[in-house]
Amino acid sequence: MGGKMKKIPVTSVTADAAVYSAEALRLAAFVFSDKAEAVIKPVKGGFQVSFRNEVPGFHPGDYFNEALNQQCRLDLAKKNSKAAGMIATKALLSAAGEAGKKA
Amino acid sequence: MALKKAAKRTEPSGPPQLLWRRDGAECLVTNDFGHYAWLKRKDFDLLLAGRLGEKHPAYAALADKGFIRDRLDFDGLAAKWRSKNAYLNSGPGLHILVLTLRCNHKCLYCQSSAAGVGSKDTDMSAATAKKCVDFAFQSPNPGITIEFQGGEPLLNWEALKAAVLHARAKAKKAGKDLRLALVSNFSLMTEEKAQFLMENEVSICTSLDGPADLHNRNRVFCGGNSHAATVKWLKFFQARHARQVPEYRVFKPSALLTVSRYSLGRHKEIIDEYVKAGLEDIFIRPLAPIGYAKNLWGQIGYDAKAFGKFYLESLDYILKLNRAGVTLREKMASMMLDKIINSRDPGYLDARCPCGAAIGQIAYNYNGDLYTCDEGRMVGWEGDDAFKIGNVRKDPYRKVMTSGAARACVLSSNLESQPDCARCAYKPYCGVCPVYNYETQGSLWGDMAVNDRCGLFKGTFGALFAMLKKPANEAILKKWVAK
Repeated sequence: MGGKMKKIPVTSVTADAAVYSAEALRLAAFVFSDKAEAVIKPVKGGFQVSFRNEVPGFHPGDYFNEALNQQCRLDLAKKNSKAAGMIATKALLSAAGEAGKKA
Repeated sequence: MALKKAAKRTEPSGPPQLLWRRDGAECLVTNDFGHYAWLKRKDFDLLLAGRLGEKHPAYAALADKGFIRDRLDFDGLAAKWRSKNAYLNSGPGLHILVLTLRCNHKCLYCQSSAAGVGSKDTDMSAATAKKCVDFAFQSPNPGITIEFQGGEPLLNWEALKAAVLHARAKAKKAGKDLRLALVSNFSLMTEEKAQFLMENEVSICTSLDGPADLHNRNRVFCGGNSHAATVKWLKFFQARHARQVPEYRVFKPSALLTVSRYSLGRHKEIIDEYVKAGLEDIFIRPLAPIGYAKNLWGQIGYDAKAFGKFYLESLDYILKLNRAGVTLREKMASMMLDKIINSRDPGYLDARCPCGAAIGQIAYNYNGDLYTCDEGRMVGWEGDDAFKIGNVRKDPYRKVMTSGAARACVLSSNLESQPDCARCAYKPYCGVCPVYNYETQGSLWGDMAVNDRCGLFKGTFGALFAMLKKPANEAILKKWVAK
């Protein structure tokens, strides 16, 4: 103790808020939690994403591909949530034997 | 069929909902009702712009299929959608009972992550097997299939026998349409067991990976020759199927092909082996990096492109044999074609929206634990119970069906919520697998842009649509799904 702490190298990338929402970045961080620890901080015009404890072979670009995938999913959900919700509800209620029953 | 009268147009409009895919100088267009059409690029542009006139030669056919906004037959199209998606109303029809984790084979690609023959506490008790049957009968589905799997299910004959007899008695009382199926490697089959299975109308399915050297390389059996046992019992059940008796129905046996890296390039020999064995269907299944296969992926695995090549070569060869008078169908293609040509649901749970996890099938582990599907059970065997939906002894049916894992699978496999899938031309016929996504990409949703299973399905659909364009092929393929 008392000595200088060894500096751990950290990779940081800035994500443009016009493309990525905080939710998409968080969801991607969860998907990549076994490959790297992502710390997301809001900065002017976007978010700074820093990666720590990366496993060998991890590339920030893969994380951002996943973030983009999550963002597309969130955008699609806004558009299709009604149809998607009806299909999912019908399937689950029918399987549970509840279809047609009064709530 | 007479064209529906045009609706009064208030402003120039494009087509109703449609999905499309470019293929050279043509475009494939599809819609949620399951209809499809090939259009030349200039006609596709006219359709998009809402300028495809009534006198255009493609107009009537496109109107009939729901591609012309002013000519939509809402009642007819809605009926089509309902029939195509009838499974949304039915509940789980497939109930997979894993009677034991023990197996006397050590197949390289085993997804079941089977245990050794001497393993303890890995057999389902007869009492649990009966509980599982009772649970299966709680499904609102009027027709249920109970499939006995393992491990090697014949290693737990007592539980198998108890479950079969209990299910048959229960079906009589409940008035449900019951199908029983056994998936076995046949190494422990005897005439006595075979007789019991036939008398109780249990259909039989096995694995046949091709000629003896290839089959035995994939399906390692220390106790003998796996290929020889498979072929011997296939012939036995075929002979019994050929001379039916009035008391019960004997089903034709079927076989599954699992493609390992060793199979690549040997499609002709494999298919010839099926023909030689008297089989009329071949189910060409790709490996998935789950279970043992995950650990040996570098040795036996391959990418979607390699499988796609193998699959296409196989289809071409099967069609060539068909033209020469040989009866043989590829099962995955048949199921996809049934959707494309007949707008029917063939019961292929892997290609549904949402997928069959929990709402279409349940996997019952040897200890009564319930999983969304057999693949989900295998993930559980690796120590991750993300797909566990309950236990047959502890949890009531409704609780299982509304469990977190069941809901998560339904939501994540809904193609309307999947980027890429939602606008893919193959969406009306396709489905995603949350377990595959979870295992390979770390989330239930996955990322279809770089998903190998998606690549594989796209390749298969692409090949089938291309084949359907050729009248000679189309005639043969239509026969595959004519009922």
